[in-house]
Amino acid sequence: MFEGLSLDQAPPLSVVMRFFLTLPVFGLLLSLLMIFAPHDVLTLSHPLSLASIHLLFLGVISMGMIGALFQMQSVLGGKPIPNPHGNSLIIHSLFTLGTLSLVCAFAFGISELFIIAGVFLGSAVVYFAQILLPLLFGTITHDTLKGMRLAVIAFALTATLGIVMATSYANGIFGDYHALIRTAHYSLGLIGWVAMLIVYVAFQVIEMFYVTTPYSDWCKHNVGRILAGVLALKVLWLFLNLPFLWLTDMIAVSLLFGFVVTTVKRLQMRKRRVSDVSIWFWKGGVALLGLALMSYSGYLFSDYPSLETVSLIAFALFALSIILGMMGKIVPFLIWFHLSSSGFMDTPIMSNVIPQKRLKITFWLFSATAISALLAPFYAPILILCGLTSTAMFALLLFNLISAKRLYHHTLRYGTKFTFQS
Amino acid sequence: MILEFMRDDHRACDHLYTEAENALADKKIDEAKTLFDAFYRATNHHFDMEERELFITFEKRTGMMGGPTQMMRYEHQQLRSQMESMLTALTQGRYDDFFGIGESFMIMLQQHNMKEEQMLYPMIDRALEGDAEIMIQTLKEMPQ
Repeated sequence: MFEGLSLDQAPPLSVVMRFFLTLPVFGLLLSLLMIFAPHDVLTLSHPLSLASIHLLFLGVISMGMIGALFQMQSVLGGKPIPNPHGNSLIIHSLFTLGTLSLVCAFAFGISELFIIAGVFLGSAVVYFAQILLPLLFGTITHDTLKGMRLAVIAFALTATLGIVMATSYANGIFGDYHALIRTAHYSLGLIGWVAMLIVYVAFQVIEMFYVTTPYSDWCKHNVGRILAGVLALKVLWLFLNLPFLWLTDMIAVSLLFGFVVTTVKRLQMRKRRVSDVSIWFWKGGVALLGLALMSYSGYLFSDYPSLETVSLIAFALFALSIILGMMGKIVPFLIWFHLSSSGFMDTPIMSNVIPQKRLKITFWLFSATAISALLAPFYAPILILCGLTSTAMFALLLFNLISAKRLYHHTLRYGTKFTFQS
Repeated sequence: MILEFMRDDHRACDHLYTEAENALADKKIDEAKTLFDAFYRATNHHFDMEERELFITFEKRTGMMGGPTQMMRYEHQQLRSQMESMLTALTQGRYDDFFGIGESFMIMLQQHNMKEEQMLYPMIDRALEGDAEIMIQTLKEMPQ
């Protein structure tokens, strides 16, 4: 029941790193698509656009979030994920193969691959949910855990709807409900999975790591419930074809906008003034969420399609910004933690695992990528520049992760351990 | 009850650390040393309150001797060792090292605090039932 209270129960480094190391590889594939097919990537419902969206939301964002959940569960949930090596290997392999199959299915129009993708991705997400949810519904309960539960449930539902859509693509038969299923699929994925998890992680880490005033108890108790309720209503509204569907969207937009305002306020007024790059990523990410919400509201009332594209791009960049910022902190911490817990005297301090200078370069490359991506819906060729900067960003991220892992193994092999003489 | 009292004490310690770190970042060395000393004493006092009173009472009431409290003691040891390293770095004028150790210390301390606030303190509150007020009084009277 209380295994999570032990530092020894943290999952092995390789469990988290296998997800984090795969993330930039998918990011590099996405960058190639942006460089070589900018117009297709920006054309809504074009196969290469769908391939890009899934590379980003599955291969990059969800890959990072699943890896982080393996780590967070042991700290927040009171019980670590059992058999972390085996389970992470199964989930990672299925998820990676599924994402690759889906992207290739879209990119090359191979219908059989949609079935394979559906099987792999569905198995990965359902397997992940069936391991994690019983732990999240255990005896220990608090607001962050409740948020994590809702996020994982939304992820499983997103995957289920994804499988239904994959079979449509495989057969080339799109029923009357295809458009509705697609709307439910991305609403659950974007708001229920991605936004929900990031919001609840923010409730936990912003206050503690940057020493800010706490988020209100009302927010912590109710944001998840309201978002879940709004999503349930939206799906119901969609399938019953009821009017004023935009109302459900506006409730979610208002709530998330409240999150943006309160988070910016907390980050600005934080007591811990020593700045690190993770703060820049949080601030950038929250600003991008604000932009996504504003452009989506603009789209709802104007029907101007570029605003919808800007909204989706800004939302993805918001999630990416938070993930990059947290990885820059989590990876050096985990390496320091695992080495120092094993008693190595020459354990490198965090800033020597991934130097701040390289994290700052990652941030500036991210900023260049974000600006060019947001301008691309208005001038498509700029997506080539976006592809080039994101290639540099993901290559640097991969280099940072590989060099951090090499430092870890080097210290394990050649480091000096504390010895106790009796 | 215990949760609120101990959580407030966590925040008070965080505040002192933040003040010390801010002062050092502003190159106010003497002020940073004074504030870090206050943080060092406050945090050790917090650990002492837990180890000498709170955990022992909890263990007696529940019979859980080698459980979560033992794990928290182990974490206290690690955190104490890091505080010593930071104190040495500050005393020897190795300020970059101070910030470097401080970065991992802060994450570890916050993870430790999360576990206590979300799991252990609610358990202690349940175990103490109506005696929580008396325990808080005892903790308040403990010399620093």
